[in-house]
Amino acid sequence: MVIKEFGSNRSVSIAPLVTFRITFGLLMLGSLIRFWWRGWITALYVTPPFHFTYWGFEWVQPLGDTGMYLLVFVLISCALLVTLGLFYRPAIVIFFLGFTYVELIDVTTYLNHYYFISLVAFLLVWLPANRYYSLDAYFGFIKPRLRVPRWTIGILRFQMALVYVFAGLAKLNADWLLRAEPMKTWLPSKSHLPIVGSFMYDDWVAYLFSWFGAGYDLFIVFFLLNRKTRPTAYGFVLLFHAATALFFPAIGMFPYVMIASSLIFFSGEFHQKLLSFLPFRQVALPAEPYQFWYRNVAAGLVVVYVCVQLLVPIRYLLYPGKLFWTEQGYRFSWRVMLMEKAGAAYFTVKDQTGKKSWTVDNGQYLTPLQEKMMSSQPDLILKYAHYVADQFKAKGVAGPKVYAEVYVTLNGEPSRLFVDSTVNLAAKKLSWRPYDWVLPFDTN
Amino acid sequence: MKFPRITLAVATILTGAVFYACTENKGTTDPAPSGNDAFKTGMLTNYAGNLIIPAYADLSAKLTTLETQVNGFLDNPSATTLDAAKPAYKAAYLSYQATSAVYFGPASALLLNNYINTFPPATSQIERGIASGNYRFDQPVVSDSIQGFPALDYLLFAPNAVGKFSGTDSPARKKYVRDVMARMKTLVSNTAAQWNGPYRASFETSLKTDVGSSIAFLVNQFAYELDAMKGPRIGWPFGKRSNNIVFADKCEGYYSGLTKELAVANLTNLKNYYVGGSGNGIADYLVLLKKEALANQVSAQFDVAISALNAIPQPMSESFAKNPAQVEEAYRQVQKLLTLIKTDVASATSVQITYMDNDGD
Repeated sequence: MVIKEFGSNRSVSIAPLVTFRITFGLLMLGSLIRFWWRGWITALYVTPPFHFTYWGFEWVQPLGDTGMYLLVFVLISCALLVTLGLFYRPAIVIFFLGFTYVELIDVTTYLNHYYFISLVAFLLVWLPANRYYSLDAYFGFIKPRLRVPRWTIGILRFQMALVYVFAGLAKLNADWLLRAEPMKTWLPSKSHLPIVGSFMYDDWVAYLFSWFGAGYDLFIVFFLLNRKTRPTAYGFVLLFHAATALFFPAIGMFPYVMIASSLIFFSGEFHQKLLSFLPFRQVALPAEPYQFWYRNVAAGLVVVYVCVQLLVPIRYLLYPGKLFWTEQGYRFSWRVMLMEKAGAAYFTVKDQTGKKSWTVDNGQYLTPLQEKMMSSQPDLILKYAHYVADQFKAKGVAGPKVYAEVYVTLNGEPSRLFVDSTVNLAAKKLSWRPYDWVLPFDTN
Repeated sequence: MKFPRITLAVATILTGAVFYACTENKGTTDPAPSGNDAFKTGMLTNYAGNLIIPAYADLSAKLTTLETQVNGFLDNPSATTLDAAKPAYKAAYLSYQATSAVYFGPASALLLNNYINTFPPATSQIERGIASGNYRFDQPVVSDSIQGFPALDYLLFAPNAVGKFSGTDSPARKKYVRDVMARMKTLVSNTAAQWNGPYRASFETSLKTDVGSSIAFLVNQFAYELDAMKGPRIGWPFGKRSNNIVFADKCEGYYSGLTKELAVANLTNLKNYYVGGSGNGIADYLVLLKKEALANQVSAQFDVAISALNAIPQPMSESFAKNPAQVEEAYRQVQKLLTLIKTDVASATSVQITYMDNDGD
């Protein structure tokens, strides 16, 4: 079904792409204004003295107080330009680069839907989403088109399908299905909700949420692809994401992003009808479809993109141990609201001789949010240990050794020692290899 | 066809979403929570009515007594009158430990704990203030360590303290002490007034567990107080941050020699908050969440940590250097307790150990 979309050179209506561009632009506009308004620019990117960078992207650093606000202002402007379809191509390129830059500053702010936004922005860079109902077309900067190659819609549907199906597959584990964790832990905290609140302590509700969630994620795409079941399926999209927004407000913009993006599954006629409600439409347009002048290159790139997107979420299979515990291959894999994990991390620095020792006050270097995220994620623990070593080196301690005593609880299992507290983490390199210093989940 | 209806639905949801996203309030208590949860309401009512408000009332009363006693000393400074005032001082400082843990809402808005118990006191800054008559108590951070209990601790109980109240600068010194006392009383009574005002209702009806909710405040403060025990109260003076070089004079209540009593009172009160006194507390909430084993484990660990503190010989400030094994043991037990709160308890109650609101998935 999804695959069929790509081979075809057939052209389809541009309307779904246009709706997508407008809703995406508006959501980004709202999302960024909200981000600004809540003071998160300062809290996340100005105040912290240290940032957990991504491997290979250590050069991505915050741009200072003015710089960060300026960058977000530019992103907000770009989101507006994308919505209007004005200077679309430069606007979406800047948006993609700028947004991704912000997300790369600190791993502790990673959210699946930020990653999704980066990917979608990247795709939109290449798609002719401004060829209709845009100011670019209105002012005659570009030739308007009514039809586009079919894969331009298909690639966005593929991206959506990927999020849902991988999110569904990730839920097929014993904790989720048989123990209804973490739902069983999370739902009692929702007992304040009207009407449904009183059921939140009941186990069957946790099982209902878990199984319904898994089933929804696994199959919704197929019902959205089928013309007959599509309207009902979209009803479920609305219901499901409205429920997640209500029950888990901390998930932020994710439900709204998915509700808007799922519209891409509707037909060209549907979107034409949708756009017909909007004012200032141009009616008389040339009939010949939009053509990529680099058609073969585009086809090749699409194949590469699809393969990468299919492989990245399953890279965890290369690692031994429990994925939820080691988190090797956890990010960038559409594992959304999948586990309840919390840690407490205590670090001790020793000098070369091991005779002198200092305990580390994490609050001195990290924000509470950073400390919380670091305390249960091995790669962040290692990065922090290296940073602490650097700090002590700068203070004049030669060859500092850093030891971590970390306890983590996962999905309601009693907390236990997480990393080998006898290992000098300062000497451990960050690598793709399995972490030999993380203790196994089961045997301690 | 269904186009218009779906369009309408989408439009409504998106508008609602953006509106909702933009109107969520930042970190403050939900002003109009809906729904109800008899257990949570009962638990929070118990916290407010039977623990928190009485704690501030008690502290207020003890400060009034203290002021009378200290004025008695100031009017007639001598070792005898100071000795007479010391029990009132001890009673007030111990009473403070019952309010230390609930540093959110009104107390946090007034920066109560920062102003009333930032130790060690900045002694030379205090002396400069007395000499010049030029000091302000209302500047956050800057004036934290020149007032409150630590300032009194130094002014009244430092070596040769009594003699300084008869010297040439004694009127200025007496005025400083009186100003410190007045400031403490004002801060505490303002906090108590807010608790007796509208804050109480918003605390009792805040049934969520997100950042800024009452349950999140309580669990976060358990972690915060234990972190403080592990840090400034015991760990730092013990030399945990400084390669085991002891800084005894940096501990709480150093000059009055109350360090151990204060630490024990702090932890004992924390346990009382955990169990909810004689009513329902977080411990009972854990039982409701089918985490009885955890509830008992935490309770038991509180007892272990309190006994470990009690096992440290008096005065504690000397034990940092003389009895490191006992201090180390207490430190370890406090850390164990902190770990349980930060991991298992926070997880079970769906509370995030952070005061910053953020998105998560």
